[in-house]
Amino acid sequence: MTSNLMSIAASGAMAAEVALDITGQNIANATTQGYVRRSANDVEVASASTWSTANDVSLSGVTVSGVVRNADPFLQTEARNTASNTASASASVAGLTDVETAVEDSGLFNAIGTFQNSLTTLAQNPANSSARAAVLQSGQAMASAFQIAGQGLAATQSGLQGQITNGVTQINTLATQLATINIQLSATAGGVSANANITTSDRASLMDQRDSLLDQIGQFANIATTTQPDGSVNVNIGGVSGPPLVSGTTTNTLSSTTNADGTVSLTMGKAAVTLGGGSIAGQQSALASLGTTSSDLDALATSIATTVNTQQAQGADLNGKTGAALFAGTGAANLTMTTTSPSAIATAAAGSAAGSTDATNLTALTTALTNLDPAGTMNNLLTSVSGQVQTATTTQTTLQTLSSAAAASLSAQSGVDLNAEAVNLVQFQQAFQASGKVMQTANDVFTAIYNLTGA
Amino acid sequence: MTTISSNSTSAFYTTASQQLSSLQQEVTQVDNSISSGNQYTDAAQNPEAAAEMRMLQLQGTQASADTASANKASANLQLADSTMTSMINDINQARSLATQAASGTVNDKQRAAIGDQITQIQQDLLSLANTRDANGNALFGGGVSGNAYSLDANGNATYQGAATAPTLPIGGGQSVATSVTGPELLNMTDANGNSTNLIDALGSLASALKAGGSAAQTAASTALTSLANGLDAVTTAQTVVGSRESWLSLNTQNQTAAATARATEESHIGDTDVSSAAIKLQQLTTALQASQACFVRVSSLSLFNVIGN
Repeated sequence: MTSNLMSIAASGAMAAEVALDITGQNIANATTQGYVRRSANDVEVASASTWSTANDVSLSGVTVSGVVRNADPFLQTEARNTASNTASASASVAGLTDVETAVEDSGLFNAIGTFQNSLTTLAQNPANSSARAAVLQSGQAMASAFQIAGQGLAATQSGLQGQITNGVTQINTLATQLATINIQLSATAGGVSANANITTSDRASLMDQRDSLLDQIGQFANIATTTQPDGSVNVNIGGVSGPPLVSGTTTNTLSSTTNADGTVSLTMGKAAVTLGGGSIAGQQSALASLGTTSSDLDALATSIATTVNTQQAQGADLNGKTGAALFAGTGAANLTMTTTSPSAIATAAAGSAAGSTDATNLTALTTALTNLDPAGTMNNLLTSVSGQVQTATTTQTTLQTLSSAAAASLSAQSGVDLNAEAVNLVQFQQAFQASGKVMQTANDVFTAIYNLTGA
Repeated sequence: MTTISSNSTSAFYTTASQQLSSLQQEVTQVDNSISSGNQYTDAAQNPEAAAEMRMLQLQGTQASADTASANKASANLQLADSTMTSMINDINQARSLATQAASGTVNDKQRAAIGDQITQIQQDLLSLANTRDANGNALFGGGVSGNAYSLDANGNATYQGAATAPTLPIGGGQSVATSVTGPELLNMTDANGNSTNLIDALGSLASALKAGGSAAQTAASTALTSLANGLDAVTTAQTVVGSRESWLSLNTQNQTAAATARATEESHIGDTDVSSAAIKLQQLTTALQASQACFVRVSSLSLFNVIGN
């Protein structure tokens, strides 16, 4: 009986010691990213013994059956999915902001206005060479602004394409690591408890790594996960109906292709992958919007060049010759002025003599440009781009709120509370001390009996 | 901002940092809008307002080009106006000379002397008709470079300018003719109902007076009627120019009113409402300070401070 009390006390002291270790581990990892709070799962040990009838007293102390990993799969999935959506919105905002910056900072809107104004000023004195030079200068400035905007968009486009390629590489690397974790989780699955949360401390840290990898993949693309009984996880990319990225210990490689229109599409094997979240999805949508903006800008550049060149051909320049084209180029990025001679502007009606002060053709050009309204088109383009940034920013703010809430809920459920750990520390210390006291009592009892018998 | 009642230490710190940084961001934004005077620093904050601002600014620069055109038109019209006044003075002088010559009390010699003066006036009128505009082109020649009129071998004036006066767009889809052409100004019918121009009428009067005899006296008296017709023609043209000038000044007033309206609109859309922004700033800084103080207090509450000493 006294040896029983001694072993009960020893088991209590050991359980308290394990609990103290776990508390220490929790405190040490209070700020570790992805660490899930642990606790010891104590179970009472009952063993067969006899007092007066069989198994009437079966006290054998306590044992630590495993380490509880306080993770809630629902909260984890929620936090991962909302974080994935936020990453998508953030990438989209970043890409669209770059598009907005490229178009707006080129000063194209003002350059178009200045070009039209210089034509108005030229009408005041059509044969004046300095007024003509001013038109050439402003035309040149407008062509440069188109080039700057076009090149800015091209740079943004290749930047976004690079980010997607990089993201795909990251996903493939992370998937390989996840498969390795899956192997280890399957290998250590021997004594899997019915409650998936009660496990060994080794497996708990493997699960932390597993969830951390899933979170990292979720930053790049939205995923659907299926956790197997052995703790390994299968991942489908692009949602539940998407192709499998990780299936047990095997991985499939995600690959990206840049299309002719500058957008990037993803494939896995032969299956096309459509993403609904993650930074790659945001970058893809920014690329689509960039493509529209870019073609609108090209159309605007071409329409201005065509209008000016057509009207030029219908008039006479300062040398009395039929006006030649002023602009060349097939889009925004390569729009150039073909002449540096101020006399090349055909202000006079066709057939006018050299040096004519007639402004018939200039007036027609001004009217044609007013009807084309390039400044209005440019204004609409800018408004549309900044409208997209605004909408994307609003979406991002909303999703950010949701993902912060999900992350906070997860953290509240699975994170370490230092005050609670302080209480645990005191509690387990007292439990340890109490077990020590029990040992002393067992010793005292044993000694008393020994003294009685051995006297 | 999300409020999660949480016992997790890292959740507490994450939430606190999110709340503080979002407040800090708002403070910076209000601070920016006060110090820059612009309500928005980025088009994406309000795309519609940004679009309106862009168009208003574009209209502003267009208006300044249009104002320059209107000023140029106004300068040419004023020049035409004052040149016509000189012409009217010349015609009046020619009329008083013709009245003298029509009188029976002057002899042929005196008439010839009057004829010389009329020739002088004709020359003067010719040079007035060839006045240059602000661009150095013929004011009454439809804007061509060079002279509007030249005298041929017979001493007859020939118009060599353009058929119409140049027009300038002055904004709002309006345009104005900046002068009148020579024929609009100087063409007239003489006493016999034949069409001629004022320069030729003066030329033929001068030669008739120099020729002497009774024909000279007759020519002088018929010239009185012709000159009266010429005066009518110039006065009519001056009235046209005068009405264009007043229309231009009305247009300029409209432009000024539109510019004021634009400035008001721009300020309305884009400028910071400083008093409300200042109040918002005060409110935000108070909240920020309180949150900071609160964070310091709460984060210092740890059981570890009180146990185990």
